[in-house]
Amino acid sequence: MNVIRYEHVNETVYHEKLDNGLDVYVLPKKGFHKTFATFSTKYGSIDNHFQVEGKQEVQVPDGIAHFLEHKMFEEPTGDIFATFASYGASANAFTSFDRTVYLFSATDHVMESLETLLNFVQNPYFTDENVEKEKGIIGQEINMYKDHPDWRSYFGLIEAMYSAHPVRIDIAGTIESISQITKEMLYECYHTFYHPTNMSVFVVGGVDAEEVIDRVRRNQAAKTFEPQGEIKRIFQPEPDSVHNPQKVTKLPVSQPKCLFGFKEAHDPIEARALLEKECASKLMMDILFSPTSAIYQTLYDEKLISDNFGADFNCTPGYTFSVIGGDTRDPELLLERVKQLVNDALERGIGEKDFERSRNKKIGGFLRMLNSPESIARLYTDYRFKGADAFDMLTIYRNMSLEEVNTRLHEHFNWEQLAVSIVADPKEAS
Amino acid sequence: MQLMNASFERTTIGNIRLHVLPSEQFKTYAVSVYIGTPLSEQTVTPVALAPFVLRRGTASLPETKQFRERLDDLYGAGFGFDIYKRGDYQIVQFRMDIVEDRYVQEERTLLAQALSFIGEAITNPLLEDGAFSAKYVEAEKNTVQKKLEAIVNDKASYAAERCIQEMCKNEPYRLHPLGQIESLEAITPKSLYESYRNWLQNSPIDLYVVGNTTLAEVEGIVRSQFRGAGGQASGYLMETKQPTVEQIKTVVEKLEVNQGKLNMGLRTKATYAGDDYAAALMYNGVLGGYPHSKLFINVREKESLAYYASSRLDGHKGILTIQSGIEIANYEKAVDIIRKQLSAMEEGEITDTEMTQTKAMIANQLRQIQDSAYETIAFDFNSVLSGRQRSVQGLIDDVQRIGTSDIRRIADQVKLDTIYFLRDLKGE
Repeated sequence: MNVIRYEHVNETVYHEKLDNGLDVYVLPKKGFHKTFATFSTKYGSIDNHFQVEGKQEVQVPDGIAHFLEHKMFEEPTGDIFATFASYGASANAFTSFDRTVYLFSATDHVMESLETLLNFVQNPYFTDENVEKEKGIIGQEINMYKDHPDWRSYFGLIEAMYSAHPVRIDIAGTIESISQITKEMLYECYHTFYHPTNMSVFVVGGVDAEEVIDRVRRNQAAKTFEPQGEIKRIFQPEPDSVHNPQKVTKLPVSQPKCLFGFKEAHDPIEARALLEKECASKLMMDILFSPTSAIYQTLYDEKLISDNFGADFNCTPGYTFSVIGGDTRDPELLLERVKQLVNDALERGIGEKDFERSRNKKIGGFLRMLNSPESIARLYTDYRFKGADAFDMLTIYRNMSLEEVNTRLHEHFNWEQLAVSIVADPKEAS
Repeated sequence: MQLMNASFERTTIGNIRLHVLPSEQFKTYAVSVYIGTPLSEQTVTPVALAPFVLRRGTASLPETKQFRERLDDLYGAGFGFDIYKRGDYQIVQFRMDIVEDRYVQEERTLLAQALSFIGEAITNPLLEDGAFSAKYVEAEKNTVQKKLEAIVNDKASYAAERCIQEMCKNEPYRLHPLGQIESLEAITPKSLYESYRNWLQNSPIDLYVVGNTTLAEVEGIVRSQFRGAGGQASGYLMETKQPTVEQIKTVVEKLEVNQGKLNMGLRTKATYAGDDYAAALMYNGVLGGYPHSKLFINVREKESLAYYASSRLDGHKGILTIQSGIEIANYEKAVDIIRKQLSAMEEGEITDTEMTQTKAMIANQLRQIQDSAYETIAFDFNSVLSGRQRSVQGLIDDVQRIGTSDIRRIADQVKLDTIYFLRDLKGE
């Protein structure tokens, strides 16, 4: 068992890589009643084309990682929620672009719930019948998102940016794509991506690290897994340029939603450098677009944005882009004003004072995040899969220089890389 | 696990009731200020608008940019507010959270700076000629209007809102906590300021702090940083009477949607203040509070009719709601299955497993409250609102004692009042 001490935030993480390859992390939180545990696989909606060393290349229907997540909850003995409920544990799962995470939170019978989590995720049970039944439920989930303007504007933006990378595929797939899913495909994906070497366990809360790791170790020692070669994920080459500069979606909304962002060219760098790039980019976005910024205040005064205006930055090995925007009365005018204001900022550069203020905000934000076991688990696992340590962020922010942020500013805002996604009412079609 | 015996220390300063929970569990200080006023058509809109104007600037930080920079300088302190209904009250909750000094190598001043900030934001706004800033009032009227217009964008919350509106047509509870669009226009910087003064003077104010501090420390800071609005600390009087249901109302509304939203509103006599609250929690839990509950199992898992199907209890108002997203053509089938679950509750068709699982889930949910400063505050505030002192452990014990006969007693007085269905434009 390795002990990783993070002195500056007064936290300790205990880690062990088990014989079967599974990574187990425990972060004990003194004074907490709750324990939050995740069992995650590095497998998400973008992993739809792959090849395991020594095996055939495989392509699968869109939405299968999410479908698999739904189906894992069904056991030959019935629904696993009932078992969690008998321990008073609240269980759930989610699928993102690059991860599937199973989780529970509990204040009692924690070890029993942990065993349940490990066992149900490692016990696939798919039948023709239960696969068919799930298509109805997921079909309703897809329909629900179709009616959701925020989701549609977000996905519209990614579709506008990317032409080949599977990040452009809706995580749940489409009614058509999921209709092709069979139990054989689910088993194939399961055996590929739910191998312990591709997974990790993270437990945070009122627990004893030794006890947790011992429990997981014994649970895993009782199961056998065939050794598996490396998984090669196959991605079609993505052009540097945006796919479609503007995408418009018609949906009944009280006023248009306008999201826009800049796509960066593929830049393969190692994990720590990627984390530094992400932190510098997020700081830059905060300085430019947070409610404190001059740009936000100007646009708000001009009634071009509402208080749901925001900005975010996505930085991964496969895709890097910004997302900016919110509701607006006039998408075209908003974009025009943003262009002027951002160009002014590019000319002036970011000043020392704004940089310091925003840096303090990021440090405070990180510390506040540490109050939440859910956020810790999400962040830590997320970055471990990328090969980085999320707790390094604090040091990265403390050591960051103004020059780095200004460099990012000039790299990122390239108007040729701009994509726009608008959701507008069909009645006010322009 | 042994529960930490956390308890608030309390005192009163002018019209402010102060509640402090010393704790080293968190890396931050959490501050909440609750100001509540009875829901009424005349006041709901100005009361909702005032906090939007307050967040724009204060006497000492008149520009919004300065106001926000101040928060950023305090290590990105969080500041915000929520406006919601609790029973027939409109509650404005201001929140602030700030990191504890020791994690950022500061002298011990951050809590004082935070309280000073939130105190000034609430009680010492930017004024022009004895009124709010005209520019801010005008801009925030626009913001509130856009928010009210945007309710329809999220169909699930729109349907929930509409169901309550139809069900409570003749009660103040029909009002949206953000007010009414048609009342916005007439509001002036002067009228808004007068309404704000009145609200601040005559409403119960509860100030909560959770973090590494003491009642004495907080009391000292509050005395010097909150400009007293005068008046006496007043209490809440929760109305728990419910109109009787004569016949079930059915409302169908058509909008351009892919998925239908089926919502139901039910009346119950059991409220947070009453002795039957634990039984009502159990009723809701067995019916639709969790993924093992009747609604999820029967509507989603057995029939694949929906992605979500659940129930929720509003304990202050005594209303239970059911919500589900369904294929439009399945409306009748879904209503039928849901009503069958309600009948099963009345018949007492509840297994021992359902009882144990639901008890365990409720206990878990209650214990988890203590891991969040804001949830701990919200739980305590329920006692202030209802006048019924409850502790987490006390409520868990009450729930443990509930038997199926108690749930049947609740089921007997739960009455379906309104069925609301949001569907597409096609069809008859």
